[in-house]
Amino acid sequence: MYTIGVDVGGTYTDLVAIDERGHTIFAKSPSTPADQSIGVMAGLEELARRLGLSRADMLAAATRLVHGTTVATNALLERKGAKVALVTTEGHRDIIEMREGLKDNRYDLRSPPPEPLVPRERRLTVRERIKANGDVLIPLDEVSANEVIAAIRASGAQSVAICFLHAYRNPAHEIAMAERIARELPDVNVSRSSDVLPQILEFERFSTTVVNAYVAPPVRRYLTSLEARLREAGLKSSVFIILSHGGMAPIEEAARLAAGTVLSGPAGGISGCQRCAELLGIPDLVPFDMGGTSTDISLISDGRAALSAAGALAGQRIALRSLDITSIAAGGGSIADVDAGGTFHVGPESAGSVPGPACYGNGGTDVAVTDANVVLGYLDADAFMGGQRPLDRAASDAAMDRLAAKLGLSRDAAAAGVYRMINLKMADGIRLTTLRRGVDPRRFTLLSFGGAAGLHCVEVARELEIKRIVVPTAASVLSAWGMLTSDLRYEVSRTYLDSGKRIQSSEVRALFAELEAQAAGRLRSWFDGPMTIQRSAEMRYGEQIFEIDVPLDGLDMDDPALAARIEERFHCRHEDLYTYASPDQEVVFVNARVAAVGAVTRGNDDVKPAPATAPPQPKSKRKAFFGAWREVPVYAMDRLAPSHTLEGPAIVEAETTTVVLNDGDRARVNELGWLDIRLG
Amino acid sequence: MSATIDPITRSVVQHRLSSIVAEMGEAMLRTSYSQILNSSRDFSLAICDTKGRLIAQADHIPVHVGALPWAARAIEERFSNFKPGDVLLLNDPYHGGSHLPDLTAFVPVFDGERRMYWAIVRAHQSDIGGATHGGYNPTASEIYQEGLRVPPIFLYEAGKLRDDILDMLALNVRNSRDFRGDLAAMVGAARLGERRLLRLFDEFGGATVERAVDAILDAAEQQTRAVVSTWKDGVFHGEAFLDDDGSGGRENIRISAKVTKRGGEVEVDLSDSDPQSTRFVNSSHANMQAAVAMAFAYLIDPDIPKNDGCLRALKVIAKQGTIVWADPGRPVTLCTSHPSNEIVEAIVKALSASCPERAMAGWSRRFRIAIQGEDPRTGRNFIWHMFQARPGGGASSQGDGWSSIGEWHTVGGIKFGSLEVAEVRFPLHFRHHEFLADSGGDGKHRGGLGVALDLVMETQTVALANTAGEGTRHRATGMLGGSDGEPHRYRLISEGREPRVLRTKEVGIEIHPGDWFEIRSSGGGGWGDPAERSQAARARDAEQGLVSDNTTKAGA
Repeated sequence: MYTIGVDVGGTYTDLVAIDERGHTIFAKSPSTPADQSIGVMAGLEELARRLGLSRADMLAAATRLVHGTTVATNALLERKGAKVALVTTEGHRDIIEMREGLKDNRYDLRSPPPEPLVPRERRLTVRERIKANGDVLIPLDEVSANEVIAAIRASGAQSVAICFLHAYRNPAHEIAMAERIARELPDVNVSRSSDVLPQILEFERFSTTVVNAYVAPPVRRYLTSLEARLREAGLKSSVFIILSHGGMAPIEEAARLAAGTVLSGPAGGISGCQRCAELLGIPDLVPFDMGGTSTDISLISDGRAALSAAGALAGQRIALRSLDITSIAAGGGSIADVDAGGTFHVGPESAGSVPGPACYGNGGTDVAVTDANVVLGYLDADAFMGGQRPLDRAASDAAMDRLAAKLGLSRDAAAAGVYRMINLKMADGIRLTTLRRGVDPRRFTLLSFGGAAGLHCVEVARELEIKRIVVPTAASVLSAWGMLTSDLRYEVSRTYLDSGKRIQSSEVRALFAELEAQAAGRLRSWFDGPMTIQRSAEMRYGEQIFEIDVPLDGLDMDDPALAARIEERFHCRHEDLYTYASPDQEVVFVNARVAAVGAVTRGNDDVKPAPATAPPQPKSKRKAFFGAWREVPVYAMDRLAPSHTLEGPAIVEAETTTVVLNDGDRARVNELGWLDIRLG
Repeated sequence: MSATIDPITRSVVQHRLSSIVAEMGEAMLRTSYSQILNSSRDFSLAICDTKGRLIAQADHIPVHVGALPWAARAIEERFSNFKPGDVLLLNDPYHGGSHLPDLTAFVPVFDGERRMYWAIVRAHQSDIGGATHGGYNPTASEIYQEGLRVPPIFLYEAGKLRDDILDMLALNVRNSRDFRGDLAAMVGAARLGERRLLRLFDEFGGATVERAVDAILDAAEQQTRAVVSTWKDGVFHGEAFLDDDGSGGRENIRISAKVTKRGGEVEVDLSDSDPQSTRFVNSSHANMQAAVAMAFAYLIDPDIPKNDGCLRALKVIAKQGTIVWADPGRPVTLCTSHPSNEIVEAIVKALSASCPERAMAGWSRRFRIAIQGEDPRTGRNFIWHMFQARPGGGASSQGDGWSSIGEWHTVGGIKFGSLEVAEVRFPLHFRHHEFLADSGGDGKHRGGLGVALDLVMETQTVALANTAGEGTRHRATGMLGGSDGEPHRYRLISEGREPRVLRTKEVGIEIHPGDWFEIRSSGGGGWGDPAERSQAARARDAEQGLVSDNTTKAGA
């Protein structure tokens, strides 16, 4: 019996299997971007090999397969989604292209505007209008509806987004239009805004629905074909997809709400971090996931990751609730250079994987962060990727010498400078992310994972005045591992319209009851295990524009003074977040949210390795630069055991990750076999 | 001195400084009360030194950038007895400010005994007292009618709040609770800047930071001069016009820029501009300086840090008593938009002969409407400011202009917000809100489009509207053979009456139930000869309905 987690990343597909006794096996296999399912099947083969089983036997014995996919992410980033037509209210054709009047770079007045996902000629308008209170001002006009259907057919669009004003309040016109299109154009995918995101704010709702229409066809195609391959290969159990909010759902649901899968992979990582928080008994963590081209930053506070509806990807606004993950464009591949004014920069340009850092030997001549790590002796050129992909140390040295000459510094000083600047960027990213939530990072523990994080984690922590860092054994496959700890989750939300009135208890109660029935009904159709309901409300003060999410768990929904209780919760939450509350101000209740959560049975994942019987023995020594060249011990992570203690400077190597400790830093191996580092 | 600082330390300090102002901005956005701050983001953050040199700033509102050093210098000139924990304020345009709504808070930052920097937060207040709500008063003939004047004053002394001063300020504005909330947010953001600067001194020592800052400014100067040196030398002229000053007496007020470009140096001389006005279209001195700096910042490379170093290549000459630098006591509230837009346009036009690939065509001018009335659904009064129907941006050598994006001084920084929310909260019906075809100037690259808005009033009693702005006659300029954009055209349509064309500086316009506004906002200017516009681009415009008269126009 196994549960299997599969996370498809940009470079590698990570796989984890956990058996019923809690034994955990990892595997990595190259990703196959053209058809991700090829890499997934090859990875499963490798995983089975490591278990000493045939793939068919392993799959037959699986009780659950959980998958994180980047199909939607890539379709958006590479602009390779479906050809979409937008059907919208007459007189309001340009909402997605107006972007509420905003433009990012204030001093760049020469770059032309970005192309919207749906060009204007495929933004088709229907004569209809719903008013703010839900009344019909102009009934859906048959003639114009038919003209629009003819235009969709003529355009060759494969997917349609239906977005009418105030449809969150009254979806009748959207539903009628969707039925017509389904009837007339049965092969066309249809996404409607009142289904995807029934909330006020037309730009956010329309943009999200358009993204959904854009990515749904490729996501459905991929998941359907993957499932067929898995069945063919012997899988009997359910397949679940991780969604951006960290919960999981069956394939059909993930395809319906495909815009909700854009953070599928990183969401697995956050689930993993939440599980780490639980296992470690440390409720406040800063996950630090540093990869080759980007670094993902998030926050676990009181054991939970925050959800946010403020997301965007590739310039497209996606207002579905997702884990609050900030991605910064800096990582091991970031390039260091000197600009025309003599100013030294690291990034945002990246060497990518082709040509990659100079040390990859693929013709790259720029210094990347990885080259600095090689020059400084932190990375063992011969042991990179478990020795499968040795690095060219001489190429790193030569590239660094060229940079050093421009800076008028020695090779070592230049490399130390690159190392310092990237650490600073990471720390800045974390500081801004935590500040945005009103959180001081100093009281948090840094959780280091992802291929490159271990090389930088102690210095990034020092920069942030964080005192403690944990590196789990699953650090390099944390997303795949984390997926196996996720629950099933179905979320619904709806705008509550008070139009100036105070919140009414009876109305709120009825709204939540309706949403609960919908959420519970949907979850029941996939799952017959134990279910819980989570409620929250997005609220703000009258004059504010940022709503805050107010959890309503534990509130008695039958309380006659429900509205007053909800307002109290809001004032408290506001005070928590922003240091003040204004009890005399008008409180606006914007959206009600309900999540139905189905808890899956989890295998043991906290099996404790045997404690150490002898002091740790370095596997070797090598020279590394810590202000001066020092000969430092190198330990193999898999030969360390609980209660071992290491003093920095030292280097700890695992198959796919390296951890650097500086002077005065001290790492203890905890009872899970993970590194628990205290800064000197 | 700067030769002795190593490049890594310099880059680390530079990075820190920009992350400090970014954090100050984030704090401001999250904690301020008023919509103009938390939604429209009309605030700016900066660090200046005691000589008033701009060290670092956050890219929020371009027209604030060049103005803050003047404010810091005004504080330095007035006082010298600063202590840790002090907070100073000012807004007066004749004491280093730009216009009265922009209140600015300053926190001195010390390295031990030594005073080093100012952490500065400037924020546009939703009200600053005076004769009209919100500060824009087209009828004001002296600054006293525009609002509360604040010269440099201490709000905190050595950490202690002067409540008496705060009470006096709050009493003089219309929404004192919001005012206090916004002011608390400003002080909080400036103190956050102070805290982070202190850490920087701890880590490197104040002397090293100072040397690094010198090197950072020198580098920006060097980078800027390197860019400017590639432009053609010469003396160039450009001009732009205000439609009128709202007094009924003066129209076509001219802003004239004589720009001398020599080597790595640009000198802008505005002395030949028309005399000052009796109305609020005058510019204060600091605002004029800021407008010139803004034009210059648009023309150099976007990624050069906007600090004192990058402005060293720029010299500004102007004459007091002209429209760009009014005598003390004149009203100036419109100046951050007008004549700022016209100053920018005149300079960019002049330099289009020197750096044609960099000179963008004209962005639009600002035309505001504010409506006050009663919501029949609640019986409550409402005040609504129109941010919708954003006008078009100018085209450039790199491509067509942005549509529905803003004016020279906002350039995509104002969010117009949700129509659905506006319909829920106000008795308004947005019948139509789409790009306005044919509004962008023609050219090799077409100007961005304005917006056609039909806005129906759902009031049941008479409401009142005020306007403030420009651009119903003078258009966003075409550049290098490109055509001008269409001007703003706003009309009020009432059943049984002739449509009323709205002027840009009116008060007390009566709006009857069922009336509707026909708003046609202006388009951006085109860039380059229309004959060079590709057939493919024209075909795309026609296919998308952005231009009604299509390919036949090419080369005509």
